[in-house]
Amino acid sequence: MRRYILSTILLAASSLSLQAQGLCAPIADRCEQHITSEYIPDGQFYRALLQGEEVAEFGMTLFGGTTYRLAACSGDSDGLLLFAVYDRDRNLLFTNKEHSAAPYWDLAISNSLEVTIEAYLDPARSGSGCAVLLVGFKK
Amino acid sequence: MGLVLTLAACGGSDTPPQDTVVDSSQVAKGAEDARIVQLGGRNFSIPSPVQAAYAIRGAGLNYNAALLAGTDKAGAITERPRRSLFLGMLGADMAYVTVHGDGQKALATLQTIERVGSELELSNAFDRALIERFKSNLGSEDSLLRFSGVAFRAADQYLKDNDRMDVSTYVLAGGWLESLHLTVSDPAAADNAELMARIGEQRRSLDDLVALIGSLPADEQDLRLLEGLKALQVTFSGITSTYTYEAPVTEVAKRTTYINSKTGVTITSEQFARIATQVSELRSMILA
Repeated sequence: MRRYILSTILLAASSLSLQAQGLCAPIADRCEQHITSEYIPDGQFYRALLQGEEVAEFGMTLFGGTTYRLAACSGDSDGLLLFAVYDRDRNLLFTNKEHSAAPYWDLAISNSLEVTIEAYLDPARSGSGCAVLLVGFKK
Repeated sequence: MGLVLTLAACGGSDTPPQDTVVDSSQVAKGAEDARIVQLGGRNFSIPSPVQAAYAIRGAGLNYNAALLAGTDKAGAITERPRRSLFLGMLGADMAYVTVHGDGQKALATLQTIERVGSELELSNAFDRALIERFKSNLGSEDSLLRFSGVAFRAADQYLKDNDRMDVSTYVLAGGWLESLHLTVSDPAAADNAELMARIGEQRRSLDDLVALIGSLPADEQDLRLLEGLKALQVTFSGITSTYTYEAPVTEVAKRTTYINSKTGVTITSEQFARIATQVSELRSMILA
C-alpha cells in the first residue's frame, strides 16, 4: 500500500514536472528576448504554475550601483503576467500593473536593498498558466 | 495542488539558524499567504557571482589567480553534492578571471566547467559550441559574462525541469561561497567601506541558502556544509543594518524606475576576519 502511494506521488510529481517543462519552455524562450544583450543574465531560472489568484513570490537582494532588468512572461503573448516589487517594509516600489502590464522593466538601484517580487496572472486575461521570471543586470 | 507536490518551503530573510522542515503545508503560512506559491521550488534568488567580481574589481583589489579553486581538482571530486558545489565555484572563478581580463584562465575554467557539467549530465548547457563561442569572443568581457550567464541559466532550467533541485542548489551554493571567498581573501577588502557593506549584504542570501539546502530530502543534504553555513549565519547575525524608504522615481519612456531608498550596513573587522576564516574552512572541506 505504502509503495503504491509513493509510486502515485512520484508519478504525479513526474507528470507535473513534464507539464511544467512543456508549458514553461516556450515561455522562457520568449521571455529571454527581453533580457537584451546589454544585460548579463543572473544565471537562474524562476518559474511557477499558477492558477486563479495564486501569487508567486521570491526575495532577492538588489545591489547598489546596478540596473536590473526584470522580465515576466506567461501564456503565448506579452502582458499576461503582472508583477510588483516591495521593499522589506512592504512599500511598493514598482508594479507593471500601472504600466500596461509591461513584460519587462528596469530597476536602477542607488543603494543595496532587499526586495520581494510578487507575480500573478492578469485575471482578466488568463486563468492559469506557467509564470516565468528572468533577471538580468548591468553596471 | 500541482506545486504543493513539488515545492519545498523556505525561510524568510530574517530566519534565524534553524532546521527547515520539508512540509508542503508550509507553502501556505497563513490566511494572507494562502495564495502564495514559489517560483521554481524556492522563493529567493542568489546574487550572480558576476556582481561580486565587479565589486572586487571596483574596489581595486589585486587580481590573484592563486585564490581560484583550481581546474586540476575536477577529477578528484566525485560525489554529486561536492561536484555540484565545485561547478558553482568554477562559475564564480570564471566571472572573477573574466572581469580581470585573464582570457586564457577563463577559457581553461570554461573547459573544466564543460567537463564537470558533463559529469552532472548538463551537456545541454555547457557544450563544445559554448566553448567555441567563448573562444571567438575572448576579447569581449561583456560577451563572455553573458554567455556564462545564459549557460548557467539553461543549466538551472534543465535541472528544475528534471527535478534535480539538489544539483541546482549546490551549484548556487558553490558560486555564492566562492564569490565570498574571492571577496574576503584579500585583507585589503577590510579597508574598503563599499566592499565591507557588500559582504554584510550577503546575510539574506546566506539565510536563503541554508533554507534551500535544509529543504532538500534528507539523503541529498550535505550535512557538513549545512552545519558550516549555519555557523557562518551566526557570525552574520551580528552584522547590523539600517533601511530608510524613499519614494522611487519612474521614467516611463525609459521603462526604468529609480530606487533611491537608503541602506546602511555595519560590519566590524572582527566579524570580517571570522567570516574569512569560516569561508576558508568551508571551501577547504569542499575541495579536500
